[in-house]
Amino acid sequence: MSNVISASHLTLAYDDGAKEIIKDATFSIKKGEFVFITGPSGSGKSTLLKSLYGQIKAIEGNLVVGGLDLATARQSKLQDLRTHMGIIFQDYKLVNEWTVAKNVVLPLMIAGYSVDVQNTQAQRLLKHVKLSEHADRYPLELSGGEQQRVGVARALAKNPVVILADEPTGNLDDYSSNVIWDLMENACQQLETTVLVVTHKIPSIFSLPYRHFIIENKGVYEVH
Amino acid sequence: MKFIKNHLMFILPLMAILLGVEFYLVFDRTTNTYEKSLKEGYSMLVVSKKPVTLENLQKLNSHISASEKIERKNIVAEIAKGVSKSNEKKILNALPHFYSVNLSEYLGTSKLEQIKKDLEANKNIKKVETFGSSYSSSYRLFAFIKLSLKIFIVFMAVVSLFLIIKQMEIWKYAHRQRMQVMEIFGAPLMLRSGVLFKVAIVDAILATIFTSLFFLYLKFKWAENSGIDMMMQNKEALFKMTDIGILLGTALVIVIVAVYSVVFTTKGVEE
Repeated sequence: MSNVISASHLTLAYDDGAKEIIKDATFSIKKGEFVFITGPSGSGKSTLLKSLYGQIKAIEGNLVVGGLDLATARQSKLQDLRTHMGIIFQDYKLVNEWTVAKNVVLPLMIAGYSVDVQNTQAQRLLKHVKLSEHADRYPLELSGGEQQRVGVARALAKNPVVILADEPTGNLDDYSSNVIWDLMENACQQLETTVLVVTHKIPSIFSLPYRHFIIENKGVYEVH
Repeated sequence: MKFIKNHLMFILPLMAILLGVEFYLVFDRTTNTYEKSLKEGYSMLVVSKKPVTLENLQKLNSHISASEKIERKNIVAEIAKGVSKSNEKKILNALPHFYSVNLSEYLGTSKLEQIKKDLEANKNIKKVETFGSSYSSSYRLFAFIKLSLKIFIVFMAVVSLFLIIKQMEIWKYAHRQRMQVMEIFGAPLMLRSGVLFKVAIVDAILATIFTSLFFLYLKFKWAENSGIDMMMQNKEALFKMTDIGILLGTALVIVIVAVYSVVFTTKGVEE
C-alpha cells in the first residue's frame, strides 16, 4: 500500500526556529492504517498534527501528505489537500452561529455540493452519530460529547483520505468517548481511511490493529 | 437591532468619507467657476517701447493667454486736450505702447511677480503693472477658504477611517471563528470571506445611495428655495450623475481594503 504520510528528517520549531519541538523525525503511514501518537504534555504531539495539515511548516526535512510536499506546496494546493482531510479538535472548533446540520456539511459546502445533497448528507451523518434530533440546534446548546460527535460527523462528511484527531476524547465522559472511538474505527475499517490520533492514552476498549508512535525528547519513535 | 447597529456603525463613517468626497467635488466645481471669473476679470498692464505680439509675450512667459492693445489715440485724446494737432502728434509718437494682458489660469502673487520679472527682462518692455495688491487680497481669501475646506475634509476622512478600522475589529472578532474553521477545512479565501464581502458591498451601496440622496435633495429642493443667489445659479454644480460613480468607486475601494484587512489578519488556527 502506498504511503499517505511520509516524513523524512522532519524538524518542527516555533519562534523562527529558536524553539525546536520535533527534531529529525522519520516515519511513514500507509493508507487505511490507524495510528496513535502519544507522549507527555508539551512534547509536540499537537504540533506534529498541525504540520500534517500545513498549519506549521517544517524548518528542516521533508513532509509529504497525500503526495503533496508541504514545504513547497502553494496555498491553493494546500487548500485542496485539506478538503480531503477530516480534522477533529479537542475543543471541537464548531461554528457557533451555524446549526448542527450546517456545521456537519461544511466540507460539502466547500466542495460546492448542492444544497439538496448537503441536506441529505446532513441527515445521514447526524443519524450515524446519533444526533438526528439535534440538526436544527446550535453547538452551544449541546453537551461536550454531543459537540464532539458533530465534529466527528463533519470530519467524515466527505469520506476523507485522512482523519487527523487531536485529543478527540480529552474532555469527554466514557460513553461519549466510546461512541467517538467506534465512529473512527468504522471509518478506518469500512472506508479505508487513514486515521491518526494524538492522545495521552490509548483507549483500552480499542479493538482494531494499530500502530503506536511516541514522542520523547523531540524524537518520534515507533513502539512495537 | 444588533444587525442594524452593526450596519450603521459601518455605513455612518463611510458616509462621512463620501460626504467629504462629494463636498470636495462640489467645492472644486464651484470654485473652478469662481476661479474662471477671477481669471477672466483680471488683466495686467504691459508698457513697451515698440509694438509686441502675443507670441512674443508668450515666449517670455507661458502663463500669458491673451493680449489686447490699448489704443494710444484714446490716451492722447485724454491727456492732450487743448493741445495743437502737431503737438498731439508729437505726444503720440513719444508715447510707448500699452497692452492689457490676460493669464491662462489663476495664479498666486509670487507667480505674478515672476511674470513681471520675465517680461521686464526684455529690453523692449518698459513697465509691467500687475495690480498685485487688489489681486492678492481676493486670491489669499480664496486660497484660505480652499485650504480650510481641504483640511476639514482630510480630517473628517481620517476620523472616519479610524471609526471604520474600529468597526473592522468588531467584524474580525465576530467572523474570526467561522473563517478560521473554514480555512482549516480548505475553503478558498473568497468562500470564507464571502459573507464579509457581501455585507461590506451592500453597506457601500447603501452609503452611496444615502449620500447621493442628500445631495440630490440639496440640488433640487434646498438650493431652489434657499434664496441664495450663488446657490441658485450654481445649482448644477451641486450634484452630477457622474458623482454616483465616483462615490460608489470610493466606497467600494474602502470596503474592499477593509475586508481584506480582516481576512488577512484572521488567518491561521486560534490556539
